Amino acid sequence: MAAGLMRLPVFRKQETVSESNEKHLVVPGDVITSDTGFMRGHGTYMDEEKLTASVAGEVERVNKLICVRPLKTRFYGEVGDVVVGRITEVQQKRWKVETNSRLDSVLLLSSVNLPGGELRRRCAEDELAMRDYLQEGDLINAEVQSVFSDGALSLHTRSLKYGKLGQGVLVQVSPSLVKRQKTHFHNLPCGASIILGNNGYIWLYPTPGQQDEEAGGFHTSMEPVSLPDREVISRLRNCILALATHKVMLYDTSVLYCYESSRPHEIKDLLKPEVMEEVVMITRQRLVEQAG
Amino acid sequence: MAGLELLSDQGYRLDGRKPSELRKVQARMGVFTQADGSAYIEQGNTKALAVVYGPHEVRGSRSKALHDRAVINCQYSMATFSTAERKRRPHGDRKSSEMSLHLKQTFEAAVLTSLYPRSQIDIFVKILQSDGGNYSACVNAATLAVIDAGIPMRDYVCACSAGFVENTAVVDLCHAEESGGGTVMSLALLPRGGQVALVQMDARLHQDHLDALMEAAMTACRSLGQVLDGVVRQHLQEVSVLTAE
Amino acid sequence: MAAVQVCEAEKVYIMHGVRDDLRVDGRGCEDYRHMEIETDVVSNTDGSARVKLGYTDVLVGIKAEIGKPKPAAPDEGYLEFFVDCSANATPEFEGRGGEELGSELSCTLYKVFNNVNSLELRALCIAPREHCWVLYVDVLLLQCDGNLFDAISIAIKAALFNTRIPKVTITEGEEGGAELELSDDPYDCVRLNVENVPCIVTLCKIGHRHVVDATLQEKACSVAGLLVSVTHKGTITCVRKVGGGSLEPESIFEMTETGKRVGKALHAPLMKLLRDEEAQGKQRQKVGFLG
Repeated sequence: MAAGLMRLPVFRKQETVSESNEKHLVVPGDVITSDTGFMRGHGTYMDEEKLTASVAGEVERVNKLICVRPLKTRFYGEVGDVVVGRITEVQQKRWKVETNSRLDSVLLLSSVNLPGGELRRRCAEDELAMRDYLQEGDLINAEVQSVFSDGALSLHTRSLKYGKLGQGVLVQVSPSLVKRQKTHFHNLPCGASIILGNNGYIWLYPTPGQQDEEAGGFHTSMEPVSLPDREVISRLRNCILALATHKVMLYDTSVLYCYESSRPHEIKDLLKPEVMEEVVMITRQRLVEQAG
Repeated sequence: MAGLELLSDQGYRLDGRKPSELRKVQARMGVFTQADGSAYIEQGNTKALAVVYGPHEVRGSRSKALHDRAVINCQYSMATFSTAERKRRPHGDRKSSEMSLHLKQTFEAAVLTSLYPRSQIDIFVKILQSDGGNYSACVNAATLAVIDAGIPMRDYVCACSAGFVENTAVVDLCHAEESGGGTVMSLALLPRGGQVALVQMDARLHQDHLDALMEAAMTACRSLGQVLDGVVRQHLQEVSVLTAE
Repeated sequence: MAAVQVCEAEKVYIMHGVRDDLRVDGRGCEDYRHMEIETDVVSNTDGSARVKLGYTDVLVGIKAEIGKPKPAAPDEGYLEFFVDCSANATPEFEGRGGEELGSELSCTLYKVFNNVNSLELRALCIAPREHCWVLYVDVLLLQCDGNLFDAISIAIKAALFNTRIPKVTITEGEEGGAELELSDDPYDCVRLNVENVPCIVTLCKIGHRHVVDATLQEKACSVAGLLVSVTHKGTITCVRKVGGGSLEPESIFEMTETGKRVGKALHAPLMKLLRDEEAQGKQRQKVGFLG
């Protein structure tokens, strides 16, 4: 009901710095080092022999490479990243995919699996039938195959775990909040599955049944999803948004802990700021205990 | 002109400030969640909101895209309730187009556009309350928003207005001082390098006074730069504490 | 409305969810998202309010000016609406992109609010046929995440509650014409009675059911909707169909009933919140955009 949801705004809580942060934080224009022995990476530029920061963030030093990781940024794709994207255009022999990066990504016709898993050269008929495979607005999950010289990503779905996505919920968060892991596909024990795209697009869907679905295919099931599965997915969605609002890194463990700490509350109550804060605090504590 | 005394005998201005004193500045980054970057700034009674989208694929005509760098697209508009007299149109008039162009020039000097060929960066600024120094509030808010979006910049861009009243250079003019009929200069500066991104002056000024005026404006910009620096570092601290693993 | 793209599978998922009364974010079909309301956010207006409904962010400023009454209603003041769909909300609104949506919103607001049933327009009259107060209501869209009408109507009601119009005294001028004197005292002002100001409820038809407070994704799944403006007594002042699809008469009836019920329940908490905020007075620190 509307009654409980109207309120006056409150100031955002200032998080106090508990221990002295050893992080090296820089702002644009800060000189990082005058030593010429370092290579410069993302987020820096050379200004008269001095390595200067160009974004506001944390300095990362990997051997001789210095780069600055900004707090929030569009997706910088690297080969091997798993992304979830939406088709924006169907062009000749390729699709344009929106992946929250600085240029739309490209999915070439030769980079998708043909239905049925056929292996053959693409012919003219395939070109004309592209819309039957993927249309504007469809969601896919794919892997980054290569990066073009101007920064656009080339994707491929040449594996059974990639392809068009079926019924589920898409959650959009900042790419810097998704932790890099070995695998980005998880079947969570609470009853739903999750794909944590490196580009910040997270896909929640009901765990596929026992019968082996060819996930790389282009047939999506339109059967209604059962109510318990829906509740799990809605709860996960609200948990992920709560974690993202409080800037907690997203990976399977953090999402799961957050889900478990949210059990006492109703799903729609998780939209309230104070409930979000409480749940995230409990999650943080559990993560710290687990790490320590 | 009768009536308004912009500088009193003791050297105080209309609102009690000294000639080289800035108005109170308060700012916040990350005001909106849907945009890539956003910021809000209050300089005295002037309030400005800046929102940045991008870098993203060039929308609309593909011919606008440049093959070697990003296109910066700015729009300046004022809320209809921002001025004392209600404005009929938020943007589209000559003044707004001119301001949008100035903003574009200013940020093309500072943003490292060569890193993003064929993309577009949108900077939209809205004045919620206008009390002089509109251009500087816009530039300062836009700087914070661009930093919030994680778009690489050479340096901060700080802007301030300055004027010449009774042989004294005054900085950060309010509306009454701007419309007083004297000289008004707007200056945008990259503080660390000391490079000027944009300078614009209306009305007549004797050549001898130009240096003093520019010097005063540049000093004011540097002080503003320090305030913005404080805001960004505070924001960094807050967020990095949250993302600590 | 700034639209998002939704694929077929997502649409099916959303439709089935609505059928089971469990939407994507866990709400029921008649639940609103989290709402934050604050008044007096812009200082050089006579009344202002900001409403955040989910991610939708709306700012309303009201300026009162003296004008000539309309010939059709010589002893009433009137309201003028202007909706600014700013580029802040989405890049598609850049330049003239937001004008179409803005004029559509303004026209609807005009129909809903500018009549004697909503506001005491006679109270805005200063001298019949000569002078009256014209309230310029300016709406600024800062972020767009569906359900603009509801957020705007709540913001307008809050801003009208916050509006303070200076008292006017009419004196005889030199040549016999009336001279208007505005009181300089900021506390000597007229407040408006906003009891009867309606709130708009937008209902979107998804599948065979309808939802209140639809997000952009849900709106992409619905073909048609109904806009109902309801007063605190439950009286319906305006009904309008929106969207390109068609509605069956039974659906319209059901949706109107839901709108009446939901709309009526909005007023009491809103007025209570506004009065609480006013009672806190100077003690409460304005959050505005710095929060």
